[in-house]
Amino acid sequence: MHRKVWIGALTLAFVISLGWGVSEYRQAEKYRLADENNNRRALTDFASHLDQLETDLAKGDVASNPAQKILYLSQVSSKSDSALKDFAQIPAEQAGLSYVGQFLTQSGDFAKTLAQRIAGGGTMTTEEEKTLRDMHERLMPVNQKVQDLITRIDTENLVWTDPAPSIKQRLGFGTQVAEASADGSETLSKSVRSGLDQLDASLQKLPPFSYTGEYATRVVEKPLGLPAGEVTRDQALAKVRDFLSKIGYANTTPELDGETQGELGGYKWKINEAYMEVSRQGGVITLFRDQRSIEPRTISIEEAAKKANAALQSLGWQLVITSSEDFGSYVQFDAVVEENGVRIYPDKVRLMIALDNGKLVGLDTVPYYAFHHSRTFPKKLTMDQVLRKLRPNFQVVESRLAVIVKSGNQEIYCYEFRGRYQGEEYLLYLNAATGVEENIRRIIKTPRGEYLK
Amino acid sequence: MKVHIRPWALVIAIGLIASIALSGFAYAALGDRLLGRGSKGSEVIELQKKLIQLGYTLGKADGKFGSKTEAAVRRFQKEHGLRVDGLAGTQTIKELKRLTGQSTNATGKAVGYKNTDTNLLARTVNAEARGEPYIGQVAVAAVILNRIADPAFPKTIADIVYQPRAFSSVDDGQINLPPSASAIRAAQEAINGSDPSGGALFFFAPAKTKNKFIWSRPQIKQIGNHIFTK
Repeated sequence: MHRKVWIGALTLAFVISLGWGVSEYRQAEKYRLADENNNRRALTDFASHLDQLETDLAKGDVASNPAQKILYLSQVSSKSDSALKDFAQIPAEQAGLSYVGQFLTQSGDFAKTLAQRIAGGGTMTTEEEKTLRDMHERLMPVNQKVQDLITRIDTENLVWTDPAPSIKQRLGFGTQVAEASADGSETLSKSVRSGLDQLDASLQKLPPFSYTGEYATRVVEKPLGLPAGEVTRDQALAKVRDFLSKIGYANTTPELDGETQGELGGYKWKINEAYMEVSRQGGVITLFRDQRSIEPRTISIEEAAKKANAALQSLGWQLVITSSEDFGSYVQFDAVVEENGVRIYPDKVRLMIALDNGKLVGLDTVPYYAFHHSRTFPKKLTMDQVLRKLRPNFQVVESRLAVIVKSGNQEIYCYEFRGRYQGEEYLLYLNAATGVEENIRRIIKTPRGEYLK
Repeated sequence: MKVHIRPWALVIAIGLIASIALSGFAYAALGDRLLGRGSKGSEVIELQKKLIQLGYTLGKADGKFGSKTEAAVRRFQKEHGLRVDGLAGTQTIKELKRLTGQSTNATGKAVGYKNTDTNLLARTVNAEARGEPYIGQVAVAAVILNRIADPAFPKTIADIVYQPRAFSSVDDGQINLPPSASAIRAAQEAINGSDPSGGALFFFAPAKTKNKFIWSRPQIKQIGNHIFTK
């Protein structure tokens, strides 16, 4: 009797666990399938976009009338965007720099730049035609190999990513595909990812394209505005002390917190809850941030703006404040250089004023030191001439001369018009020398302040 | 002795009680009364939702003003320059409403929150750099934005964050936790152009990483427990 109860209970438990196992297995199967479908969608879409991109590049090259050329070049740019999006979703073992991605970004970027120029009545140079043809040449084998990978999924049961190395490989017999692709040898890939890695390695070996566009060069190679000469650690410490006394921090003992590398590398300092960086070249304060706890606010944003101006002055900056953002316990201000009535937006300093006592709690001078240099301005059109180029019914509220950054590191000297059109507020930038519209920014009012989109 | 209750007095009394009760429950709007420890009702839910939206986590918005809600209110007050008393009064609620409001165009027409990207960026910062110094959180957000600006990476925040194996917090699901207030602030600051990472494209925790690729990248600086690299 007793035994029967036990057997019954165990059988029941076994049946329940079996049922649970089966349902879990089915569930897992569903997820695996959803995952597999998603991966296939990404790869197929990638191949399809690459294929269209390849054709559009060829058509963009042969097209003779501007309308056709703009059409195909714009398609190149949108197809390369889509291909890049798909490419980024294909399974990988790790994320790193991708030359396939770079190739797609740059071909799209280059085509967009050309399309914009042709739409504005410009033409392509022979050099640019050659670059476009080079891109097509480079794309063709990429396209072929991706299509080959898709075929091999069916014919050779390619998996998505390489399986973990076998015991034999771990012991050092036989090379792994990833390593083989890195050293360029053409072993046949066993997974989609290793196939793409091989493509990546083959593109890496080719020389970079030279063209002007948004992604041609990303940051300034060398900061343009750092003073000459290197400072030692002790000299940097003196700069820190001087800075702190100017912003009202008495009796503090800065501690060295390490060094930083790169274009604006230097020394890191810690002062109670504050963090500071001083550049090695030129010995300037590039970053200051006090993370102290801030008490209830006692001053308004207008008063904070005055404090910001006073802080700039005591630190020796001649700048005008252009925008503010309210973070609750502190306000962030952006200030830029104004030279003979021209606002130089790239030469920017950002500062933060605490709303409890009006003291400086943050300073970021990196943009200023990266971009500041002496500029020469071309001959400009008069304000009246440029005003006539604005679209009808655009109500100008404010206007001035300015230098702005357009795609990459190109600077443009232009007239800035703040105004309204159809209930929206915009900043329009018209080239000061030619009157061509260079940039449009829409002004959005967020709860924290104005935002440019 | 007999007490005479007049019928109309009864009606008034019941009406009064009912209206007081209803104003306390159904018709109360956030800001009508001072909320504090022990308050209950729909306006407390509204208060809790706004706090969560701004990154002041308090568990579930359950309509009960308990110790977690009070702590969240205190943190909100502290970080927004308000008097820290743990009570949701006029000032605190006004500030909460302002910050959770939609963005508008020049004529005041609402155009949505305009913060989808900020939100995902804040989630990533929250998941990847919780417990790091604030400036390190801004740096992590800046790394993602630097990738957008680099040709070798995808061109949207979502594409970068969800790129396979790009962030461990996506693989373990931490990315789906609601972001903290400091993560949101860090994301906003980075979107506005701050980059304390010095132009970094990668970051990693040296104590936890053996990956050869990441160690081979030129290092820029260490902030907190993260090394930032080109």
